Amino acid sequence: MKEKNILVIGAGLAGIEASLLCARAGRKVFLIEKEPYFGGSVIKSEEVFPQMECATCMLAPKQSEVLENKNIELLTLSEVKEIKGEPGNFQVKILKKARYVSLVNCIGCAACFEPCPVSLDNEFEEGLSKRKAIYLACSGALPNVPAIDMKRCLRAKGEDCQACKEACMFDAIIYDDKDEELSVTVGSIIIATGFRLSDPGKFPDLGYKKFKNIFSAFEFERLRASNGPTSGEILTRDGNPPKSIAFIHCVGREEKGYCSQICCLYLTKFAHYALDKIPGVKVYQFYKELSIPGKGSQKFFQEVMKKGINLIRTEKLSISENGAGLRLTYEDNKTVDVDMVVLAPPVEPHPGAKEIAQLLKLEQEQFGFFKTTELNPIESNRPGIFIAGCAQGPNFMQDVILQAQAAAGAALHLTGS
Amino acid sequence: MSRIGLFLCECGPNIAEAIDLDKIAEFINKENKVAGIERHRLLCSEEGKKFLAESIKQNQFDHIVIAACSPKQHESTFMEVLSQAGLNPYLLQLVNIREQCAWMTPDKGLATKKALRLIRAAINRVRFHSKLHEKEIEANPDVVVIGAGMTGIETALSLAQQGRTVYLIDKDKLGGMLKNLKRLFPGMLDPQRLLQEKIAEFNNQTQIKVFEDSQVKEILGFFGNFIVTIINKEKEISLKAGSIVLGIGAQEFVPEGMDQFGYGLKNVYTALQFEKEGLTKIPDESKALAIIHCVGREKLGYCSKFCCVNSMKLAHLIKEKRPDIKVIQFYQELCLPGKEYDKFYRETREKGIEFIRFDKIGVGKNGNQLELKYGSGDGTEKHLNVDIVILATGLIPNPETKDFAQMLNIAVDDYGFFKEEHIKLGPVSTLTDGIFIAGTCQGPKDIKESILQAKAASGRILSALIPGRKLPIEAKASEISDSLCMGCGICVQVCAYGAVSIDERKHISVVNEVLCRGCGNCAASCPSGAASHRHFTNQQLYYEAREILR
Amino acid sequence: MAQTFEPNLIGFLCNWCSYAAADLAGSNKLEVPANLATIRVMCSSRVDPIFILNAYLRGIDGVIIAGCHPGDCHYQTGNYYARRRFALLSKILKTFNLDPHRFRLSWISASEGQRFSQVTKEFAESIQKAGPNPLRKKPFID
Repeated sequence: MKEKNILVIGAGLAGIEASLLCARAGRKVFLIEKEPYFGGSVIKSEEVFPQMECATCMLAPKQSEVLENKNIELLTLSEVKEIKGEPGNFQVKILKKARYVSLVNCIGCAACFEPCPVSLDNEFEEGLSKRKAIYLACSGALPNVPAIDMKRCLRAKGEDCQACKEACMFDAIIYDDKDEELSVTVGSIIIATGFRLSDPGKFPDLGYKKFKNIFSAFEFERLRASNGPTSGEILTRDGNPPKSIAFIHCVGREEKGYCSQICCLYLTKFAHYALDKIPGVKVYQFYKELSIPGKGSQKFFQEVMKKGINLIRTEKLSISENGAGLRLTYEDNKTVDVDMVVLAPPVEPHPGAKEIAQLLKLEQEQFGFFKTTELNPIESNRPGIFIAGCAQGPNFMQDVILQAQAAAGAALHLTGS
Repeated sequence: MSRIGLFLCECGPNIAEAIDLDKIAEFINKENKVAGIERHRLLCSEEGKKFLAESIKQNQFDHIVIAACSPKQHESTFMEVLSQAGLNPYLLQLVNIREQCAWMTPDKGLATKKALRLIRAAINRVRFHSKLHEKEIEANPDVVVIGAGMTGIETALSLAQQGRTVYLIDKDKLGGMLKNLKRLFPGMLDPQRLLQEKIAEFNNQTQIKVFEDSQVKEILGFFGNFIVTIINKEKEISLKAGSIVLGIGAQEFVPEGMDQFGYGLKNVYTALQFEKEGLTKIPDESKALAIIHCVGREKLGYCSKFCCVNSMKLAHLIKEKRPDIKVIQFYQELCLPGKEYDKFYRETREKGIEFIRFDKIGVGKNGNQLELKYGSGDGTEKHLNVDIVILATGLIPNPETKDFAQMLNIAVDDYGFFKEEHIKLGPVSTLTDGIFIAGTCQGPKDIKESILQAKAASGRILSALIPGRKLPIEAKASEISDSLCMGCGICVQVCAYGAVSIDERKHISVVNEVLCRGCGNCAASCPSGAASHRHFTNQQLYYEAREILR
Repeated sequence: MAQTFEPNLIGFLCNWCSYAAADLAGSNKLEVPANLATIRVMCSSRVDPIFILNAYLRGIDGVIIAGCHPGDCHYQTGNYYARRRFALLSKILKTFNLDPHRFRLSWISASEGQRFSQVTKEFAESIQKAGPNPLRKKPFID
């Protein structure tokens, strides 16, 4: 008997799209997400190239559909623990970690944040702002229910702090919430675990973390985000808008051995952000090879470059401190001084991919992405398990969507009509 | 007179502390416009929902106003409760007094005043809410695929495996662009074998009906119910399908008239011409061959994204045949997107292929040879004699693209390719539901990506058209009154989804509810008031606004 | 009568971007003028120019329409239609002797809660300065 349910691992763009297609076809979908929120990397962005559309607005209707569709069971803070069986009939054990806040009772009023005495770096904001031990990743994050970071809550240290419970008027705080283990049976599995950007600290020539005004791509993205730590103002760590910014392409490309594909265009978008936000800002782009593939990309690139961006091709580049600013030295002895540097590090697999690969006996290729068939980027080495989105390699959003739609089709096919 | 029930949700202290709900109840009571006012601590809770349902039944309310949170939070929750209580869910108006009143107005007096204004407006509006029903129509699960290249073949196969009948139509024979290729990068697979394997799979699929040498004459109908008329061997055949996939491909740009590249000279080929014919005809005495990248890119306005890697593939093919020939790649920017191609590039260099970056280049004749004059950024002009020149030119749309666009009333982009529904979120769909685009007719891409698009289009269809299931129709669609419409056609022009058309017989506009997505643009643009947006009718909005204007 | 003037404002917000932005402003407890009451429409293109004329003739002091940024429309091109209608309507309002600053069109995306608060505050202040709608005292219709 073929099982009709479908499991989707990872609730970013790929996971959401795949789940929606399967659910619209009438299938029960278990969509599991490691984080307490869903939406993946897309919701970290303010705008999306080349049309500079608001990313939140693009994703929000899909997110609401996920939350409202009764065929989709969204399990946040959840991970796969075990998989047995074969295509058409996989038995999956899911560990659903305690949220310590009731998804049913909480109404998202945010009254619990302020009383919490713990202050921590907010990972979602790349550490650019603080959060409490009970927190929402960012305002507007969905589901609109906070989670308690129990490892860092005062209660974990044996104190009987009840600050959030006292502030909550809806009995939503559950200090004795327990991790749960769920068992589900599904016919097919779609892996959509996404990507992360490498730590630019791995490329020491560029001085990341050593000099304070060197930012990684997602840090810059959050600086521009309206719901981010600066409410969308691009500021150096000294709190001033930079008068000049250098964007560095191809960081770590040689070391990694592949082109991350998306960086040229998102750095073009960043230049657009900067020019839009800071009148008169000087923008430099340091690159090795330009990759702006596909229709629409070149037009976008040229339109932004027309606004007076200095495009500098160089194979060699180093960064040093120069007073309060930064000095870029290239081609041996030429220099440019700027207030801010933004690095575009390589796209790499999500760190959780390895564990999933082991659990599901999936092959990873040399870079750690899930291995797929040469002419079919969604087909893994195991029948019945499909790969979608950046779990498979660096991809543009449209390719992520295509893979998700293709994977949904394959999963629907496999589990029969 | 309708029996309007007003429900005030306290949302714990969120609303109750910021807004004086007693005062609101008192004022509304005085005005005598509602049949009852109920108050609850938290309407969205299980207990609250039960209270709501029971109260509706007990008080026999026929229209409901709920003053609570944003409709984005709980409109669907409360609509469901109405249904359970036996009331049409559209007889509800939700007033957002939490996000857009309590939480944004620190002064309680002002917040109360604002909430009262909003609640009065909702009461005034809800009287005009009418019952709406989510309708469904019968839909045909079969699919017509136009274009039998790799994209069309793959689409047909993925759908047929699911038991769908697929009509695969091509003006020519099966195979498309693939027939001209010797190898596929980067794995150097044999495309002819791939094609044969795929065609062999057709034999196991009785659901695929192939129509080669066929022209599409006419396409009528809409999502769920298309009728496609084709001409096959001078015979007209009518095919019924629920969805259409266009996979009509693209063609290589031929740089005719661009004299600087020497196109037309002997031994100057485009990449496709070389792969098709030139490769087998390399003159014995040839010693050097140049491949020029990005030919025509500036003119076309886009990077075709596969040409850099394809040029490297050609270099491999040449070296396989003639290891003695020197191959030089002239490029401007190397576009090697993704995880596979840097490796392929390194392997190409390791085979002794030379790469030269140029800022300008020209091809001319020099005796029996071809002469390249180029600059490489340092201001000097350099010369090089070669025997063969390959121009890597990229893809342009097929001429049929615009004919199909016209026939189906779908858009083309700035470059003449089919325009997708959304560049990021809807790469294989169009603004017209049920019509999909896949492969190079949507934009330049390689075989692998074309296959992916084919599979994505099948995924969309498998998800939306299910045998035995009807298609749901948007309840909040527009409608056009027969008697008020004067047939001016403004609504036809403003509709982005082709959902409004002129009924030629009656000379009035009609809405196709299957295609309408309920934006209301037609209603706002209609000069005679014939177009109406359900659940956002002029009357409803007018009476809502009127109370705000008091 | 030395009463301070309290403008009466109405806003039409598109469901996908600006209405969501207003919700976000509320969620973040950002202040928005209390004299602004909003009406939700699915798209800014749903706003019939008649609604606006009617509002001014009935004495409203200011109208704001907010939709998705150009290019972001959930319905492809609806906001462009809103923009054209706005431009035309602004001219018509001049013939009524109405200051065009009383009528505003803004693009506010779903993540711009802050911007929603800012835009509406600025708008309310400018109307406060401009004084009451001159048509208020002599209503044309009922």
